[in-house]
Amino acid sequence: MKVDPGKKGFVINILSLICFVVLWHFLIILARNDIFNIPFIRLRDIPTPIETWYAFVGSLFTQIHGPALTYGIMEHMQASLLRVIEGGIIAFIVGVPLGIGMGYSKPIGNILNPIIEIVRNMPPMAWIPLAVFILVAGGSIFIVFIGTVFPIILNTIHGVKSIDERLVDAAKTLGASESQMITKVIIPSAFPSIIAGLRIGLGVGWMAIVAAEMVIRSPVGLGYFIWNMGDLGRYPEMVAGMIVIGIIGYIMNISILLLQKRFIKWVD
Amino acid sequence: MKNSLKIILVVILAILAAGCIGGNKTPQSVSEPINLVKMGGQDMVQRLGTGEIAGFIMWEPYPAIAITNGFGKPLLYSGQIWKGHPCCVVAYDYNWYRNTTNADEILKRMALVQLKSVEYINNAKAISSPDHEDLIKYTMEFGGMTDPKAANLSLSDVEFVYTPNIADAQTFITRIQDFGIFDSGKWNQSGYKNASDYANALINKSYSDWASQNKNANLSSVALKTPVTIRYAYLTNDIHELPFYVGWKKGWFKDAGINITLSDGTPFLNGAFEMQKGFKSGAVDIGSLGIPPVIIHRINSNDFALDDARVEVVAGMNNEGSVIVVGKNITSMKDLSGKTVGYPGPGTIQHVLFLMEADKEGLKVSY
Repeated sequence: MKVDPGKKGFVINILSLICFVVLWHFLIILARNDIFNIPFIRLRDIPTPIETWYAFVGSLFTQIHGPALTYGIMEHMQASLLRVIEGGIIAFIVGVPLGIGMGYSKPIGNILNPIIEIVRNMPPMAWIPLAVFILVAGGSIFIVFIGTVFPIILNTIHGVKSIDERLVDAAKTLGASESQMITKVIIPSAFPSIIAGLRIGLGVGWMAIVAAEMVIRSPVGLGYFIWNMGDLGRYPEMVAGMIVIGIIGYIMNISILLLQKRFIKWVD
Repeated sequence: MKNSLKIILVVILAILAAGCIGGNKTPQSVSEPINLVKMGGQDMVQRLGTGEIAGFIMWEPYPAIAITNGFGKPLLYSGQIWKGHPCCVVAYDYNWYRNTTNADEILKRMALVQLKSVEYINNAKAISSPDHEDLIKYTMEFGGMTDPKAANLSLSDVEFVYTPNIADAQTFITRIQDFGIFDSGKWNQSGYKNASDYANALINKSYSDWASQNKNANLSSVALKTPVTIRYAYLTNDIHELPFYVGWKKGWFKDAGINITLSDGTPFLNGAFEMQKGFKSGAVDIGSLGIPPVIIHRINSNDFALDDARVEVVAGMNNEGSVIVVGKNITSMKDLSGKTVGYPGPGTIQHVLFLMEADKEGLKVSY
């Protein structure tokens, strides 16, 4: 009997996840019974998957305690996602025109390239102090913007520069104006590369937002949540928050990949 | 492929919608809630100066620094919110205690030095005291201050004590139980029946009682026969822990047969770090820190099979000593409604004090 390779892959993926969770569980249990230990790591303090699951369920929604209001994971998740979406949109609006300009026009490329090359090598986390001490508002969104904009610019430049010369020549021969050349030839051809840049950028942005929320005085956000839970010694909630961060990042990546395949049909 | 896309979009929409639904659970209040934001002391002072926050609640010396710089004014002293509330204490690691044969004798001397330091500070607070100038010097060194006026002001706000207060610790435990800060599973594992049971297990008054009985004794006359070395920990620039610094600088620990070495990680940024990276990891024998992190982490961070975060309180350090400092346009707690206020973190005594006052005024707090 032949097994569909797609289904086989899916089954292997699920089995691998189950094995990981089982291994995680037993490692912690072995450590707690002093049977197995890794030096310099307090393995026994890591919550088991079951403890993490209960912590996740228990802290999903808004919880109110006395006069204070504490948020659940859902609110933190929403806050972080909105910041990444806002930062990503701004980065897209800024990065795509810049990338097209730099890729299409040599003088613009020559002027901006040295600046972009230096600035893009400053990791988003290195911008956090600036966001804390200089920016009055929107520090976390700014960090996402920094993480997202450079992959978009570079991929846009790459996309523009990789356009088939024959397409450009054909358009010129047919009398295309400069604006027609950009809107009808350059942008559609570079679009897959732009979306690839957005995907990479949002990945970096998602990692950056978690770091930013730990440092920037943000009232909500997953980075804030996991740090606070760690502060209170609530390790199961902390690990649950970490897993949520990983799952959201994964969903974001897959979503853009699927959107890319769904809407950019002219790319094989 | 189409189906996968739909599933993912539905998941994302569900997450965003669930967040909105959760957000609707916010209790309705007539006034806007006060937005509490966690930040460090230096940051609070700076942000109040630039007007980015309307106020903060913090331990000394930060209120004194903000006030003497003209950045803000005191709205409420913590003693006005909760008279004689507990704050910093001296605590020891239970595993160190278990493995040290003469631990009780060491702790008695620690409590005695604490008593002498507290008495020295309380006497030297008076400007007429011959020790006043030295005390200001110690305060500025330990608190990282450059202005003697700020040092004087910070000293006046703190009530230094050496006897730990079981009744107030019990009240505090009840408060943080109400706020849901304890991990319920860990609380059940601890086996404590109630706040009173926990407070009595946490605080050992026998050492401060011994110190009181021997308060007139010369330290060298009661010194340990064989000197011991203690790995000590304290918090960065926290004026509440000045009695330790005074005793150390004056050489009183040495006189009592105790050599102090600072533990790895000292000074710690906050009590949560001192509990988790200091006591729990076995790097600290004895240390000073706020009683709230002691109370919280002895439950939440403790591995009950090892009792690795079990600490016990040997002596008090101070009561009160925190202040709500506000900008120039704020004259009451109600004026803070809808504005941002800095606080040192969840579960701190300052957090609890602020919530108590907000509750009294009928104000809500958000984060």
